[in-house]
Amino acid sequence: MVGFFNLLINGLIEGLIIALPALSLTLVMGINRFPNASAGDTMTFGAYAALGLQYAGVAFFSFAVMGSLIAGALLSWLCYRLVFQRLSRAPMVASLIAAIGIGFMIRSVIGLVAGHDLHTFSLPLVRAWNFDGIRVLPTDLAIAGVALALLILVFCWLKLSPSGRQLRAIADNPDLAKLSGIRPQRLMGMLWLLSGALCASGGVLLGMKAVVMPELGWEMLLPAFAAMILGGIGQPLGAVVGAVLMGIAQELSIPIVGPSYKIAVAFVVMLLVLMVRPGGLFGHVEKVR
Amino acid sequence: MDAYLLAIGTIVLIYALLAIGLNLQYGETGLINFGHVAFFALGAYTSALLALKGWPLPLSFLAAGAIAAFSAVPLGFAALRLRDDYLAIVTLGFSETVRLVIQQEEWLTRGVQGLPGIPGLFTSLAGTPRAWAIFLTLLAVTALAAYAISLLQRSPFGRMLRAIRDNEPAVEALGKNPSGFKIRVFMLGAALAGIAGAFYAHFITFLTPEQFIPLVTFYVWMSIILGGIGSLRGALLGSTLLMFFLEGSRFIRDILPGVAEVQMANIRLAMIGLALVLFVLYRPQGLFGKRPV
Repeated sequence: MVGFFNLLINGLIEGLIIALPALSLTLVMGINRFPNASAGDTMTFGAYAALGLQYAGVAFFSFAVMGSLIAGALLSWLCYRLVFQRLSRAPMVASLIAAIGIGFMIRSVIGLVAGHDLHTFSLPLVRAWNFDGIRVLPTDLAIAGVALALLILVFCWLKLSPSGRQLRAIADNPDLAKLSGIRPQRLMGMLWLLSGALCASGGVLLGMKAVVMPELGWEMLLPAFAAMILGGIGQPLGAVVGAVLMGIAQELSIPIVGPSYKIAVAFVVMLLVLMVRPGGLFGHVEKVR
Repeated sequence: MDAYLLAIGTIVLIYALLAIGLNLQYGETGLINFGHVAFFALGAYTSALLALKGWPLPLSFLAAGAIAAFSAVPLGFAALRLRDDYLAIVTLGFSETVRLVIQQEEWLTRGVQGLPGIPGLFTSLAGTPRAWAIFLTLLAVTALAAYAISLLQRSPFGRMLRAIRDNEPAVEALGKNPSGFKIRVFMLGAALAGIAGAFYAHFITFLTPEQFIPLVTFYVWMSIILGGIGSLRGALLGSTLLMFFLEGSRFIRDILPGVAEVQMANIRLAMIGLALVLFVLYRPQGLFGKRPV
């Protein structure tokens, strides 16, 4: 029972981390209408940016994290301006292939610059709190807190600010949004900045929990896709709920299938959702081509 | 030198077989398969394991094609009835899952240690005649596959596939069921990939999960994009060009000494990534094709 609770807590934290890239994926999917396969490698980029800033001597870890969010946001914006924007009229597969290509490039540059050694952030060592065998690491609580705060911030922006409302209007019906005087250009820029920052933050938080390596984000891409599908494509809240469920499912599967099969769990969840409820928890079935 | 060229030629043909399958799926029918390497891997390991158990090679080759084809069925049922992009994500997930299973189930596949001692093709011959025998057999199989698919393209079935690609609602309006056709095409492409995998296994005679990373899928995509999507000749030409590129990148190491193999792998990854991006941006119809991506 104690073991179960430990797994549950771990899954919850991991789920909140997955929620960040999953939210980024679902927003891009809802508006630019392609699965952004470079999101995983943008996560890796975020983790390495924070690592680099820390090596460069940035004293406070939170400054390094802030820097990495900015770097991730700029990278993603650049990808949009240079590639995805030009492909916005091309078929979806063109953007998808370009996203894969961009992901490869990011990963290879990271591999060339930083090598394939495993890295960890230098964080203060803390002892886990122990409640009758249920162990809680203060670092994990900090990770969950930061992830939750970022998610709330993004939701406030989406729901309360005028630009968030306009973005949702574009997601709903791009032509109608244009007709009612919304200029998508500036909003797209904001969306991609946000999307990159979300991915980078996910990468940093994941790196804090595990180790930083060039495949860090790529291995998170499938769980994030699964979370997006589970929550319903284009549904921000769905992506977060889906991610938390995915995180818990992955952790609870460990006693049954072992820790190596996390990606496989994501794949199985994805297949089950598509077979049983293809619209996801919050979405509706789309059969458009 | 002969041996080297024959080995390259054999690999080109294996990629060509993969490209023919993917071209049928994407170029003809519009199915976005991002997990082609999974069917390749399933074919390779199926045939290798059966041959190690003493099955005759022709039977193990058939089994490789069959296993790959049938593994495509559940994926097709899950994703093909829905939007195109689901299939891309699901197949990508499938290819990583297959690689993971190969890595983890050591009792079956020996995991990352690799599977050595796979029976080779034509072991009664040796040296150059053997290399020729493998090459020519593969050439015959590839040509046969290409011919069969060109017949298929001209048949009513082929017309239906192009109709599905170009306007699926219209096909439905005519009372046809696109998903049935899609699943059959998906299986057919997977079977070709499985047979390509079997050739690969018995040509290389050593398999590890590292040979089946997702990058391989995008090598095949690269070759159909290079050659021009939707054309059979393009698929063959594209795989040849791809091999020039991959082999050429080996010679970079002679010019730039001190580049380690790990770095070379990174450079190759970056170049494939860049090529994919540049092609979809500037030359979506490929080098020789007429139809854009």
